[in-house]
Amino acid sequence: MTTLTGAARTGDAAGRPPVANRNVTGRRRNRWFAQVGWRHLVAVLGVLFSLFPIVFVLSAALNPLGTLSTTELVPTGGVSLGNFSGLFERTAFERWFLNSLLIAGVASFASVFLSALAAYAFSRMRFRGRRVGLLSLLLIQMFPQFLAIVAIYLIFGTITDLWPSIGFNTPWGLLLLYMGGALGVNTWLMKGFFDTLPRELDESATMDGASHAQVFFRIMLPLVAPILAVTGLLAFIGTINEFLMANVFLTSSDSKTLAVGMYGLLQGNERNNNFGIFAAGTLLTAIPTVLVFQLLQRYIVSGLTAGAVKG
Amino acid sequence: MSTPLSGPGSATQAPGRGPVGSRPPRSRAARDHAPITLTGLAGKVLLLGLTAGIAVWAAFPLIDGRNWAGLALLAATTAGLFYLYLTRRHIPAKYLVPGTLFLIAFQVFPVLYTASTAFTNFGDGHRGSKDEAVVAIQTSSVTQVPGSAEYALSIATKGDPATGSLVFLVTDPATGTVSAGDTGGLRQLDAADVTVAPGGKVTAADGYTVLNFGQASARSKEITDLVVPTAGGALRSSGLSRAYEGKAVRAYDAGCDCVRDTGTGQTWTADNEVGAFVAADGERLAQGWKVNVGLSNFTRVLTDENISGPFLGTLIWNFAFAIASTGGTFLLGMLIALVLHSPRMRGTNLYRVLLVLPYAMPSFAMLLAWRDMFNADFGLINNMFGLDVDWFGQPWTARMAVILVQLWLGYPYMFLVATGALQAIPRELTEATSVDGASPWQSLRAVTLPLLLVALSPLLISSFAYNFNNFNAIYLTTEGAPFPADNPTNGATDLLITYTYRLAFGGQGAEFGFAAAISLFIFAIVAVVSTVSFRRTRKQEEVYS
Amino acid sequence: MRIRTAGVVALFALALAASGCGGDSDEPTANQSPKAAGGKLVIWADDKRTAALKPFAEKFGKENGVTVEVQAVSKDLQTNFVTASQQGSGPDVVVGAHDWIGNMVQNGAIDPVQLSAEQKSAFNETAIKAVTFNGQLYGVPYAQENLALIRNTELAPEAPKTIEDLVAQGKQLKAAKKTTETLCLQVGQNGDAYHIYPLYSSAGGYLFGTAANGDYDPKDLGVGKPASVEAFKKIGALGEKGEGVLKRSISDTNSIATFTGKKCAYLVSGPWAVADVKKANIAYDISAIPGFAGGKEAQPFVGVQAFYVAAKGKNKALAQEFVANYTTTPELAVALYNAEPRPPALTAALDQVKGSDPDLAKFQEAGRNGQVLPAIPAMAAIWDPFGKAEAAVIGGADPSSTITAAGKTISGQIK
Repeated sequence: MTTLTGAARTGDAAGRPPVANRNVTGRRRNRWFAQVGWRHLVAVLGVLFSLFPIVFVLSAALNPLGTLSTTELVPTGGVSLGNFSGLFERTAFERWFLNSLLIAGVASFASVFLSALAAYAFSRMRFRGRRVGLLSLLLIQMFPQFLAIVAIYLIFGTITDLWPSIGFNTPWGLLLLYMGGALGVNTWLMKGFFDTLPRELDESATMDGASHAQVFFRIMLPLVAPILAVTGLLAFIGTINEFLMANVFLTSSDSKTLAVGMYGLLQGNERNNNFGIFAAGTLLTAIPTVLVFQLLQRYIVSGLTAGAVKG
Repeated sequence: MSTPLSGPGSATQAPGRGPVGSRPPRSRAARDHAPITLTGLAGKVLLLGLTAGIAVWAAFPLIDGRNWAGLALLAATTAGLFYLYLTRRHIPAKYLVPGTLFLIAFQVFPVLYTASTAFTNFGDGHRGSKDEAVVAIQTSSVTQVPGSAEYALSIATKGDPATGSLVFLVTDPATGTVSAGDTGGLRQLDAADVTVAPGGKVTAADGYTVLNFGQASARSKEITDLVVPTAGGALRSSGLSRAYEGKAVRAYDAGCDCVRDTGTGQTWTADNEVGAFVAADGERLAQGWKVNVGLSNFTRVLTDENISGPFLGTLIWNFAFAIASTGGTFLLGMLIALVLHSPRMRGTNLYRVLLVLPYAMPSFAMLLAWRDMFNADFGLINNMFGLDVDWFGQPWTARMAVILVQLWLGYPYMFLVATGALQAIPRELTEATSVDGASPWQSLRAVTLPLLLVALSPLLISSFAYNFNNFNAIYLTTEGAPFPADNPTNGATDLLITYTYRLAFGGQGAEFGFAAAISLFIFAIVAVVSTVSFRRTRKQEEVYS
Repeated sequence: MRIRTAGVVALFALALAASGCGGDSDEPTANQSPKAAGGKLVIWADDKRTAALKPFAEKFGKENGVTVEVQAVSKDLQTNFVTASQQGSGPDVVVGAHDWIGNMVQNGAIDPVQLSAEQKSAFNETAIKAVTFNGQLYGVPYAQENLALIRNTELAPEAPKTIEDLVAQGKQLKAAKKTTETLCLQVGQNGDAYHIYPLYSSAGGYLFGTAANGDYDPKDLGVGKPASVEAFKKIGALGEKGEGVLKRSISDTNSIATFTGKKCAYLVSGPWAVADVKKANIAYDISAIPGFAGGKEAQPFVGVQAFYVAAKGKNKALAQEFVANYTTTPELAVALYNAEPRPPALTAALDQVKGSDPDLAKFQEAGRNGQVLPAIPAMAAIWDPFGKAEAAVIGGADPSSTITAAGKTISGQIK
């Protein structure tokens, strides 16, 4: 018995492996499965669950007839990229794409920053109205948005008259509006994470003479880097898919975002005709998100926090 | 930055070790140690400078528009910001104010404004003021005087094209005579003084400057408002190249506070309770106005059979939906995050990207795709699994279906958050337990899960609150279906919010006031639930103290 | 020291702000200048029409020395228009279906349009009737549309005379395994009042009675009346528990696709379906939707797309000029047709394009006896309950109690 693999091979070749050897390999396989293998199994199942409706969309995007209803996962009428080229020919897709990137990028960055500031205060400081403030942050988000549209017209009607460069049909106005939602669920999320950081860390820094701002920027922020990355990603996805407000805000076709532009493809009787193009657009919309995710992954990877704590 | 460390309520005060609000004795020494770093100072100068710059930029249009209240607000806000970041006190506020300013302007104000409409009849047909309604009634009653001529029109002035008072130069198509008209009436012009184009439009006239479309349209409002009195009615413009003799058939009479039809003599008297002009026989004019209705929207919620009847059932399902969506996504997301959180795991990057994909797709698109997949005859799900289930046709399968869709849409979110949370848990803690000889399962239960819950319980509350009002999840899939055959207003999968929407916007025009009233009720329910569960998090908050 | 730091910071900040102002302060004036120079016309439409309108709007702008902007509102165009108008941030012109008129008028959002008798007579009569509300003309129509029966001529060479004919034919094809569905008429989970209306009217049902002046009368609601119950009995007989011709699983998303996939021989749809049918290379013909044997004619709804002048637009004179004197020209109508093939409302334009597109005449013929979609605000209360009742009856519910409940719900929502 030289090596396990060798043994396994001989066993296989013999058709019926020697009993002892089989046990060893089997045990090893079992151990592998117990530690890693089952993880892959669960992950693959999860991926299947995730991808299965997406395959449906993919098949619609590749279907030259491009209609929504297909009973099969594989397109019946052959495969073509016509829907993708149609998307660029018939719509201002590139434009929407850039607008979305700009708005979602800036908005997610700014809102993560604003929320981190607030979460730091909510987690580390004690002041009157703290818990009420936290709860109000949550409850304000509970008001149905479709009712707020009237008020949004009121506010931005005035703003457009006074300062057209931050009014309707400008990305800056929409950004301002999104900043209104910066303190919200994300603040709660980050506050939860600040709470898990040992308080001794900032206390000892304070003892060493660091100001509260230094504690925040130099110690807390690096420590919560994974969660900043996660929140940033969530904010990015949230903004890029935001539709209700953007639809009210952006009417000139050059200023539209992906969500608004794409929804326009699906309207009324056109729903059926455009579905192929729409599906193609949906798939392309996922690209920036995946790229941002890739970019942020290195902050989400293991080890980084551990190092920071040690340092 | 340069602020001292031991300010009131700052981090030095360990929470849980003293009553909130009690201040530790300040030490003079500590304050003097506060380093004034160059970057901190520069950052502060830069940001405050930017603030002041924006304030000045924003002030000019306000001054131009003589909007003094706005200017005062702007000045006060700017001054407040300067004070806040120059003083050494109010440290929590320094962190909270930036986000809060936006929050107040774009969330709190809209919410308050909306809530205030709950006490009015604001909605379609009752959107504006009474004056606006009167204007709308009069304008929409302008009709062409029967048998009167249509004129070709040119807009002209005797003075400067941009400011001179306007004159209509009109050509009678029958006679070809040209007249000039203003508020004083029509005066015929000498045919020799004018040049008329083939269509009848005057292109030049002695003593007048004829405006081109660009010039004329810059003075659009004056043109629309210019009415040239004639014997039969008045000459009005229809665009910039035609004029007609029209007459407003209905006019408002302040004396009787009513609208009178000059043709038929019928009157509609203003009813300031309902915000409409009502005739003696009960007929209403379509254009109404917004009035205060007190609590009647609220009492309607409580007394209307249609609302109170199915309310309890809907509420229970609403809770079930929110709990199942939140709990399901959380469990699934956390499970997969834990599964992937192993140093020995290969290919986690790829797995993560693929798992996050559902979240990266525009959710409205995927909701529509899911709706199709549940189609009883043509849907992928029935076809693939060989089932014959009328998914959206039966209450329980429909409920299962919407929860399944929510699970699919929402678990990547929980997965991401849980992944972030797991990474943020200091490895020393888990390592320490494994050194102590605990099995992975024990260390998971003893260390990882409690910490995860600390980090995520606020999120679970907020996620619950979000799902409680998750309009799109229902509206874009079942739209509330299935509905009992004898009640088309309340379906088996309806949440309170979709139900509200149907009641307030499904009828004859949108009723914003009523919708706001129901929303306040829902709001109260969510607030109570969230407050109660929020109270329970107080203990968890202080794990380390 | 504390005061000194604060002071220094403030001073620096203000200095920075002041240096920034030089550049900043002239910005607002720069922004205002184009406003003053010439007129600007803003048009709101849905995405499809925005694309079609753009070149002509720009041409109008160039010819007249004004700026024209066509903007697309992708969702809830009507509500957003009404809300924006109320707050003074709406457009000058809006493009939309004629059944919006009632709601826009009650909100004072649009103004009447004054057309000369000559201009009016150039339009199809139905189209003018559709945009007339309370005796006033509120919009300039440019296209009209209605449902028709599109059939696959390879499978069904003859146009059916009655529904019974169609069902018999469809069943034969199904039995011969040539198709899997008898008829593609979209119903969906919550019904579709627009698509079922031809059958409903043929079976004797109506929505609103007509008042003395020819307008629809919201006080005379036909839903819930005995005739409507009878009509729904006939519809129910075609439903899932009956003939299986009408099915809730056939919905807006799959009805056309099922037809283009040759899984059914008959499709009830409008001009918008033709593009897909052509793309799928199906030999097709268009005829009127047949009625029930011995019943009334099946009347599809006729809808009209029109231009409206916003009551609170910033540039009403120009908007009036554009709508009343520019959109009434056949050139524009033909161009809009080319962008989106729906029958033009201008007779001259229709004649011009009829030759090259035989489908247009067929659709128009199918809609000859059609009924103008009611524009009264009360119509908004019909769609949802009526559709759900339809879906329930098709699913096998008792027509009598279902329709009575729907009628009660609708009348409860009409003021």
